[in-house]
Amino acid sequence: MRKLWLAALSLAVVTADASSQSAAPVKVGFSIARTGIFAAGTQTSLNSYELWAERVNAGGGLDVKGTKRPVQLVWHDDQSNASKAAQIYEKLITSDKVDLLIGPWGSPASLAIAGVVERHQFPTVVGAASSVKLREIKAGNIFFTSMVFPDKLAQTLADILKANGYKSAAVLTVQVPYTLEIKSFLVPNLKKAGIDVKVDEGYPPMVRDMTALLLRVKEAAPDAVIVLSFPADTAIYMNQARETGINAPFQFNLIGPTREWFPKQFGAHANGMVTIGSWHPNKAEWPKAKPFYDAYTKKFNEKPDYSDAILGYMACEVLEEAVRIAGLDKNALRKTLASATFDTLTGPVKFQGVENVATPTGLSQYQNGQLEIVWPPNIATAKLIRKGAAKP
Amino acid sequence: MKLELLLSGQLFFSALVTGAVYVLIGLGLNLVFGTMRLLNIAHGEMAMIGAYLAYWLFALWGVSPLVSMLLAAAVTAAFGAAVYKGIFRGLLASNMTLVRLEANSLLVFLGIAIILQNAAILIFTGSPRAYQYMDTMLHVGGVALTQNRLIVLLVAAVIGVLITLFLRFNIYGLAINAFIQNRQAAMMMGVNVDKIQLMAFCVGFGSAGLAGALLSMLEQVSPYMGFSFTIIAFVMVILGGLGNVFGGMVAGLLLGILETYGVAFTSPSFQLVLIYGVFVLVLVFRPEGLASMGRRL
Amino acid sequence: MGLVAALFAAMAFVPALGNEYLRSVALSLAMWIALTESWLLLSGLTGYLSLGHAVFYGIGAYVGVLLWGHVPLWLAVIIGGAVGGASALLVGFPVLRVRGPYFVMLTFGLAELVKYLVTWIEAGLGQYGRIVVGPPSLNTLFYFMLALAIAATCLTHVVSRSRVGYALRAIRENEEAAETAGVPVVYFKVFAFVASAIIPSMAGVVMMMRTTFFEPAAAFDPVVSFTIITMAMIGGRDNASGPLVGAIFLAIVSELLWANWPQVYMIVLGALLVSFVLFARDGLVGLLLQKRKASAT
Repeated sequence: MRKLWLAALSLAVVTADASSQSAAPVKVGFSIARTGIFAAGTQTSLNSYELWAERVNAGGGLDVKGTKRPVQLVWHDDQSNASKAAQIYEKLITSDKVDLLIGPWGSPASLAIAGVVERHQFPTVVGAASSVKLREIKAGNIFFTSMVFPDKLAQTLADILKANGYKSAAVLTVQVPYTLEIKSFLVPNLKKAGIDVKVDEGYPPMVRDMTALLLRVKEAAPDAVIVLSFPADTAIYMNQARETGINAPFQFNLIGPTREWFPKQFGAHANGMVTIGSWHPNKAEWPKAKPFYDAYTKKFNEKPDYSDAILGYMACEVLEEAVRIAGLDKNALRKTLASATFDTLTGPVKFQGVENVATPTGLSQYQNGQLEIVWPPNIATAKLIRKGAAKP
Repeated sequence: MKLELLLSGQLFFSALVTGAVYVLIGLGLNLVFGTMRLLNIAHGEMAMIGAYLAYWLFALWGVSPLVSMLLAAAVTAAFGAAVYKGIFRGLLASNMTLVRLEANSLLVFLGIAIILQNAAILIFTGSPRAYQYMDTMLHVGGVALTQNRLIVLLVAAVIGVLITLFLRFNIYGLAINAFIQNRQAAMMMGVNVDKIQLMAFCVGFGSAGLAGALLSMLEQVSPYMGFSFTIIAFVMVILGGLGNVFGGMVAGLLLGILETYGVAFTSPSFQLVLIYGVFVLVLVFRPEGLASMGRRL
Repeated sequence: MGLVAALFAAMAFVPALGNEYLRSVALSLAMWIALTESWLLLSGLTGYLSLGHAVFYGIGAYVGVLLWGHVPLWLAVIIGGAVGGASALLVGFPVLRVRGPYFVMLTFGLAELVKYLVTWIEAGLGQYGRIVVGPPSLNTLFYFMLALAIAATCLTHVVSRSRVGYALRAIRENEEAAETAGVPVVYFKVFAFVASAIIPSMAGVVMMMRTTFFEPAAAFDPVVSFTIITMAMIGGRDNASGPLVGAIFLAIVSELLWANWPQVYMIVLGALLVSFVLFARDGLVGLLLQKRKASAT
């Protein structure tokens, strides 16, 4: 009797165990720069991927056309090296045999892997990468969620300035490819919008002092100061612009204000700064936004950055949806990715060719310690305000 | 650029602060390099450690960086002592040719720097950190001075004076100086080689830690910040002359001025080309440094 | 040397295996061998440690991206090598007058200077990154790189065993004595410098076809210079087989580690560097030779 009971019990255990583990994990592969020159900026993207995998698995697994399977992230450090990234994607496809691919961080690496995934006809969704050169390669297997493609961003900036009646601008650009690309579109767009570009200067990436440059800007007294900057120089601008006494009502820093250290370092002075960003945790139209915000903050003890972290998560959500509809077959996935509209934490995403055309290119502004979307008007959470005069 | 802008007090203040930052960063390197001809590539990593210390002490317990900088100096000095006793004492005592020694020291420090940077990434994650401290403005004669930048300038000046006095009047300082000038002669005069070397290591590493802690007020703290500090320090040491501490300080100030004002005469994008160009030219034509003509401190 | 030949033969068969990942690993390996062997030709033999060898690699990459589409690959490679060699010749005479740690810093400074020059030029031209459209296949690139690796190894091996090699070593041991003995030191040094520049430039052209995106900061990345030195130190820097051993050893360690624990990999790398410099100055090859000697007696 006891033996029978034991047998039944063990059978029950085995079957219970088997049913939860009978599904082999879905391997999601990617490379990301964890060492090297880009490493400082990639942490938030990685966080998003991990958060996504955790959420999916907590909900029973990734829905593959009805069957739920656990998700397993398979990733390698590409050392900020584009050719290493290409190598890694070859490894992911041929050796690690992953089922799904997320793109690497940054445009250079994305360009490098585009050829690889094209050769293997392996559809890939990319988060943080956005160079117009990506359109030139005419790939059919790579999809970019980013809404800050340089030409779109340039147009958006020109639009918001025109709409608010600003007549003159100073453009400062750090000399790295992405910002130089934006500038190449921005200056002509501004001029076309009738805005007088009074200062147009570039500066090297490791700059420590911008005072001379800023004095020139102050002298020109433009309505708008647009600094196409990366985090380190954003910080320098913030400090030295105040000291120099720049009082333009519209001040823009490209990358930096969405990072979580920005308000910590600048406190009240962060208010009024405009930056890229078309996401907000509290928008009612985006029900997935607040849960993401809360989960991210809880897991990582810091707020998500409103750009890269969002893009990374978007890429994951797109893949999740696509797999639910099409399963893991590459051809079906590709068709779905190319045609369907996906619902993400920042609203709908739809690809036309390689680009996401559904998410508007937005601008956000710090107001009362919070980032608010101020452009375009149809998704704005607040109106653009003038940056207050630098208080002592 | 208009003349009045060029002569403005604002620009001058900025140049001074940049120069002061450089002086702080490069000070310690000259001691290690000057006394023992060791290429301490890990110098910047010491500053990074100091910066993280200051950041966490402020973030967790609100300790002012002016206080934590002293703690940072102690910690990094202790690290220096450990590195000296563990690695370099033996290396220096061996009868390696000087050229070999210099080459090997470079590689050892490189290894140490790599270890420290990546350990920092593992412990603190790669995300940069920053805090707000003393960033109110003072207005003096039409020039706006951010308090924390002013403090950096003042501390750098004080430390510069202290070190100069130390090397001139303190018995150990004089010994270090003698060592820098002529190692063999100093040894023959009975200078305690081991003690001097240890001291140079401690002061050198400690000053880097102090600089890092202080600069955490102005810059973001990340595991990657060390490298640019190291480069600046080396540029300064070269321009000012190997082992010439006072020359190094002058070089640091000049570098800050060059960087800040150079923009006025050339385009800002040319800035770094200018600086490295000067660096290369100095190395090629006068490796002993710009301040080497005549008197040494 | 037989082992070396066997290794290259083995590598030549990798494409036949059909595994694309292995092919790319082999490409990478071939590149590091080519770079490190060339570095050895200068720094291993003369003792003039170059910390800026990435500059030649970057120059090659720039030439490559500019010429692609206009000339066939083999011509681009040759032109790249010529430009690299010419650059070395251009600066060789003044640069090699500088000794010891100054030379190390000078090479680093030069590499950074060229990097910022190219950045400035590209920005001035309105360029924000150039891409290579329709690059050659991985197989083609691999065979080119393998050829470069073999060429570099043979060059270093031949020079190292020749009279030129002995002269270079004499320079390393005691330059003044060599000069007094009538060795035309300057010409030999410049020769080594130029010879060590050509193949890295060619490698830069080939790798550009792999990366397909030219960006000055990435093409002139100082990490390349540091990695070369690390491989040479670990493998052995007096012997042409050193870089091979170093590159393979690092490739194995990195395969095991960087994939999943990149920081741990870097820390291990740093620790290895320190250990080898301190305890095994002639690298793995030195250790192996010692063992062979010991077992022979």
